[in-house]
Amino acid sequence: MLLVPCPHCGPRNASDLSYKGESHARPDPNSATAEEWRSYLYMEDNPAGWLRETWYCRSGCRRFFVLERDTATNEFRNPPVPGAKLGGKA
Amino acid sequence: MVDPNSVNPVFESPITSTNSGSAGTSIGTSADQAALTLADESSLTKTLIRAEPRTKAERQLDVVFGASRLVDGVVISGQRPSEWLVIGEANDVSTFVDRIDREGHVSLVDHTHSRAMMRLTGLDASRVLEKVCSLDWSSEMTPNGAVVSASVAKVGCDIVRNDTFRHGSALASSAPTEVIPPSYWIACDRSFAQYLFDAILDAGQEFGLLPA
Ligand SMILES: [Zn+2]
Repeated sequence: MLLVPCPHCGPRNASDLSYKGESHARPDPNSATAEEWRSYLYMEDNPAGWLRETWYCRSGCRRFFVLERDTATNEFRNPPVPGAKLGGKA
Repeated sequence: MVDPNSVNPVFESPITSTNSGSAGTSIGTSADQAALTLADESSLTKTLIRAEPRTKAERQLDVVFGASRLVDGVVISGQRPSEWLVIGEANDVSTFVDRIDREGHVSLVDHTHSRAMMRLTGLDASRVLEKVCSLDWSSEMTPNGAVVSASVAKVGCDIVRNDTFRHGSALASSAPTEVIPPSYWIACDRSFAQYLFDAILDAGQEFGLLPA
């Protein structure tokens, strides 16, 4: 069982949450090129190591939050801050 | 707010508790275990209040996420950040809700008929919950008054541990030596209510859980 540290609810079973994937900074829609949009929408870094990612606490507080996980060990770090903005690669 | 006395107070519960899930092999029910009950309390009035931080309403409610308190016959439960469920008899909830300040970003929605609610009570109640929910139901983690939201038998539920509240009145504390059994309100969407009621009865069968 993967215990995900929700900033509101504390450690919760990952099955209580939805994984929303890698968190990348959204480019400015007024100035982004088509290539930048494509990269933002479809391209993943998928590293074996630290990754900044978004989770949704579906069964608990129903909040989105960002945290960092080592994809190789499933270790979490940097207790997430409620309401933190998405911010690119870890 | 609609005056509750001006409407026909008909409530139809989504739960039929007569066909209990306790059919089948009964395993050693002692007198104590028989006190483990699951009651349909869907008819209690449930009003959901959302209020932005730093509104007057938030200060009036005065309950943090994950906690609850009893005031004027209603239980205010901090269900989610900036979100409270007020539970009680219709008149009590109506009186309470009418006093809530509406200034700022505040909303009130009556969930009485959209949410079912059942009450699981008994010394083994936490052991029943442990079978169908992944949270820690020990009294250290979820003491009386604790509020959590979690999946119960795969249904999204809001749970309030509420050992003393009985339809608007606190249990008499005249018998200090008597152990007050843990009691949990479990609220879910109306359409899942019958399934959840039967699923909890099924999980509690080994502890002698009976519909109240
Ligand atoms: Zn949460």
